[in-house]
Order: sequence, then structure tokens, then C-alpha cells
Amino acid sequence: MLKKWYRLDTAALIFPAIARKDWSNAFRVSATLIEPVDQEVLQRAVDDMRGRFPSFFVTLRRGFFWYYLEESDLPVKVCEDSAYPLTYMGNRELRQNCLRVLCYKNRIAVECFHSVTDGWGGSVFLSNLVAHYLELKYGIQIPREGLLCDLTQPPPAEELEDSFLKNAAEVASGRKEEKSYRLRGTREPNGFRTLTTGIVDTQALLDAAHRLKVTVTALLAAVMVESIIGMQNDRLPRKRQRAVKVTIPVDLRRLFGSRTLRNFSLVLNVGADPRYGDYRLEELCSTIYHQLCAYATPQNMAAMMAANVQPQKLVALRLAPVFVKNLVMDIVYSRIGEGGGSLNISNITGLPLPEVITSYVKRMEFIIGPQRSYPNNCSVLSYGGKTYINMIRNIRESELERRFFSRLVELGIPVEIECNRRS
Amino acid sequence: MYCVRCGVRLQDGVESCPLCETPVWNPEQSRKEHGYPDHYPLAQKESGLPFAVSLTVICVMAITVILIVCLRLYGELRWGGYVLGGIALFYIVAVLPRWFRRPPIEVFIPADHAAAALYVLFICLHTGGHWFMSFAFPVILAGCLLLTATACLLKHVRGARLIILGGFLLGLGGFTVLVEFFEHLTFGTPMFLWSLYSLAGFAVAGGFLLLSGLIPSMRASLEKRFFF
Repeated sequence: MLKKWYRLDTAALIFPAIARKDWSNAFRVSATLIEPVDQEVLQRAVDDMRGRFPSFFVTLRRGFFWYYLEESDLPVKVCEDSAYPLTYMGNRELRQNCLRVLCYKNRIAVECFHSVTDGWGGSVFLSNLVAHYLELKYGIQIPREGLLCDLTQPPPAEELEDSFLKNAAEVASGRKEEKSYRLRGTREPNGFRTLTTGIVDTQALLDAAHRLKVTVTALLAAVMVESIIGMQNDRLPRKRQRAVKVTIPVDLRRLFGSRTLRNFSLVLNVGADPRYGDYRLEELCSTIYHQLCAYATPQNMAAMMAANVQPQKLVALRLAPVFVKNLVMDIVYSRIGEGGGSLNISNITGLPLPEVITSYVKRMEFIIGPQRSYPNNCSVLSYGGKTYINMIRNIRESELERRFFSRLVELGIPVEIECNRRS
Repeated sequence: MYCVRCGVRLQDGVESCPLCETPVWNPEQSRKEHGYPDHYPLAQKESGLPFAVSLTVICVMAITVILIVCLRLYGELRWGGYVLGGIALFYIVAVLPRWFRRPPIEVFIPADHAAAALYVLFICLHTGGHWFMSFAFPVILAGCLLLTATACLLKHVRGARLIILGGFLLGLGGFTVLVEFFEHLTFGTPMFLWSLYSLAGFAVAGGFLLLSGLIPSMRASLEKRFFF
């Protein structure tokens, strides 16, 4: 029987092309339960997810013209977690499964290759997995509301659609952006990723953001930009400096009313140029908040989508073999894909989960790996009155984390720090 | 427990702040519950073997076709000898290292030069030339020594990259003079027609790199101005 297969969505096309021998674009969502995880029950729960979430149980295949996702024959085996999150997901693994389910003590983690879905899709999958695990383990009934789906039903077509194609504008916006300051440091040996988690009270964060009349995302971006400007000041004279911008993914589902579980987000680069003068935090907050408001409109986003969708429609590009496309996409990504921002701040907010789940799950987290050319990244998820700010890096130096979290403390937001480093 | 420098709250049992490395002193310290296990993943390096196998098959097919065509048409190799030699050289230089996970450069650079020397010797004998021992061999030998020495130094000596590259450029300048000298001996061309210019260029670039490597302040200043 012919296996079911899926075209990569517009955003997903880039990820196989830009992968390296020691780097691929993946992310992790995890939930920490109140009790240790039963690996056998979790395996059963994972197996039961296949019918409702077929687009997650796939392998990455290379066609002559394009990559595609094909239904996987192999089960996704629950494994023990590693010393660091987001270990390298290589071609060999992606040819078997693009999804990992890991557990350690009380924690269930799902790691996913970015061509399959984005952070929101991963959160939906994890929420359903955890809900089903709790049902199997404790025999409870969890109402299918919010993010939770009926696992006995097949997925509706709109969950599998490429919403970029449906919502792209006719006219594309330009892609050109000034290069941002690039963070650098001493690479960790053996691909180790240091994860520093800052746990803050969500209400304290909201209060601080409201005091500065901005959103939480704008506040965190402003503190991050201020920290990076400080690092750049120590390193370079003003005339040699570059703009400092952070890349913020915008979930397009709310803007365009989409229910897709494939990738459907675009990134905005926001920040300030320290060559023009010094900025106070209030000024950074204001400028970043207004940049976000100005750019994250449906019209602008649709025009940005068109810039990604239109090249796909060019006959010459469509007819080019996949290795030629890889080369072109790699060059485009190197020149404009990562240059616009110094790091990502990816914020998942408002996971609507039934109350019965929240009494079993004490913590949820979202982690993105370092990008190909810059060493730090930041991801944020709020759950149960706490906000988990995960800063990951593949370098030794913790200067950025120190500046960022210390600044939050100075703003009157208590921060608790956890780290996966052992010495 | 809080870090006295950053002001952040720390996990129980940590010995130093993960952000600023400031040591934590706590007489009532309990053992730390770590959030991640000790277990490290197995290295997942992509193998170059499938590519090596494909190229080997292609080379074998090309050799077979050329042999059949030449022997059928002429009963001897003729032009096929050059092509076969070229394929063999390509295989040794580009494909053979792919069979190894970490190809040893100390072996492969001399092997590549030996293969090149054999190919050139074949061309010399086939065309009835007398220039191999007086020109091609010493030039290839000198190139081999220069490249092997540079590659070995880069591989084994840490923290002296600029000095090694500076030395390599100076050596390259000397190499061009040597090439012209053997050209003069073998073919009777005028001595030092072009090589002194290239020597001057390489000497300036090499000297600059050597100085940058030897003077840390100069290196830091260059790094600041030209980082990308």
C-alpha cells in the first residue's frame, strides 16, 4: 500500500536545505508531572496518537525536486532524556522519524524537527499526549476542550493545510534587512547545549510590563536588546558597532484564523541601533513595542508570506533538482535568513488546558535550539502562574544570561535559576 | 539560596552560580537534584560512505567503458591512457579519503602528490619528453613538502595558526622561485622573469601574517576591525 505523504509547507522547505552535519533545526516542548513518568504507559499513549496526528509520525524523504514527509513505519520509541536538550537530529534519524519522545523522572519531552510543525503545533501534540497518558495511567476522563482533540477521529483537513499558500498576499514585501550584531564565544566540545532556565512569577512579569506600558514579549525583547548592547559596548567602539535586533516569531494562526498544525509563523526583527546614541530601558521597551505593533499586522504578514510563497511558483525554480534548490536556499538563508537578528525570542502564551490536567502537570516548557550561525537562543512559555524563560547556548560564556536575568532582578522581578551544567 | 552578585535565586545544592560562576557557600547544603541525566547521546556523525561508494561505482564504470572503447577501436590505449590516469588521480585525491572517518592528512597529502607524480611521469614517457626528473619531480616534491608540513603544523600545533599560515605564504613565494629555477634548467627560459614578483607579494602577505601572529595587540586590533 502506498504510504501517505505530505508536501513540506512553505516555511518547512528551508530546514532540510540548511541542515549541517552537526546541526539541524529542532525544538522541544516538555511537561513535568507531579509523579515519575511510567515509560510503558507513555509508550502506549504515544502509539495511540498516530491516528489523530499522522503528520507528526513521519520521515523526511528526498524527492528529485523537493523534500517531502512520508508516513513512518517505525514506531516512535520513548527514550531516556540526555544530559542536554535537543541533541543533534541527523539525516539518519530523520529518515526514521522526525519526532522524539523522551522522559526523565517526572518529565515528558517531545522534540521535533522543525519541518513537521512549529512551537504551537508541538504544544498541541504534547498537551494531547500528556492528557492521554494521564487517562491511561490514572483512569481519569479529561474533557476534550481547548487544545485537546478526540483521538478516535482522523484530523480535519485544515489541520494539515499549508496556510501560507492560502493567506499570502499578491504583492510581496522586501526581505532586505541590515545585519544585526552577532554574538560569539568559545564553542562547547561535542555539541553540548547549556540550558539556563529562569523561572519568574508571571504576575510579577506582567506588572513590570504594564508599568512600562508594553507587552511581556516586548519587555523581554527590550531587556535582551539592552543586554546585547551592553556586551557590544564592551567589545567595540561605537562607530564599529551594529544594530542590535532580536528575532521574534509571530504565530499567524490568530491573525488569519487558521487551525493548521503545520508551520504557520513568521519572524520579525525588532531592536535598536546603538550607533545613534544610548537608550534607556523605557525607550527600548517603547520602540520595540511600537515596532511589533507596526509590523505584526495581517497586511504586512500576508506580504511577508508572499515573499516566501512567490519563489516556489517560479517554473525555473520548481524544475530545479533538489540539490540545486538546497544550494540556493542555503545561500539565501546565509545572507538574509539569520543576519537580521542576534537571537530569537520565541514566546508561547495562553495554552488553554482543562483544569484537571493542571492538577497533574506542575510545569511546561518550550526550548528552541541555537541557530546555525548564532550561539544563543531564548524561548518562553507561561504555565501555572510561572513563566519559564529558557536560554540555550552552544558556547561556554554565560555573559548574556547573566546580564539578562540580573536586569530582570533589577526591575523587581525575582528570578530562580536552573542550569543543566554539572560543574 | 541567592547569588550575591546576580541576585537570582539558585537551585538547592549548586556549588556556584550558573550565570557568573560566583561560588555559593551554604553550610546546610543538601545534595543537588539535577534536572537532566548524566547520559550523553552517542555521536551521530553522517558517514561519507554512500557518496564514496557511488563515486567508486561511477569511476569503475567510466574505466570499463574507456577500456572497451579504446581496445575495440584501436587495439591499444592511445588517448584512453590520459583519461584513465586522470580518473585514477581523481579517485585517489577526491574519493579515497571518503572511505575514512578521519582521513590522516599526513598520509593523504604525500599520497596525492605521489599519484600526481606518477600521472605526470606517464604523460612524460608517453609524449617522449625528458623533463620529468629535471622539472616535474622536484617541483611536485617541493610542493608536497610545503603542503604536508603546513597541514601537519595546523593539525598538531594549537594557537599558532597565523604564524603557520604566514610561514606557508613565505614558503609559497620560495616555491615559485624554485619552479622558475627548474624551468630555466630544463627548458632554458630566462631566469627570474616572473617569480620575483610573486615572491615579493607572498613575502609581504606572509610577513604581515607572521607579525600579526607574533604581536597579540596587533592581532586583537585586527580582529576587532575585521570580524564578521
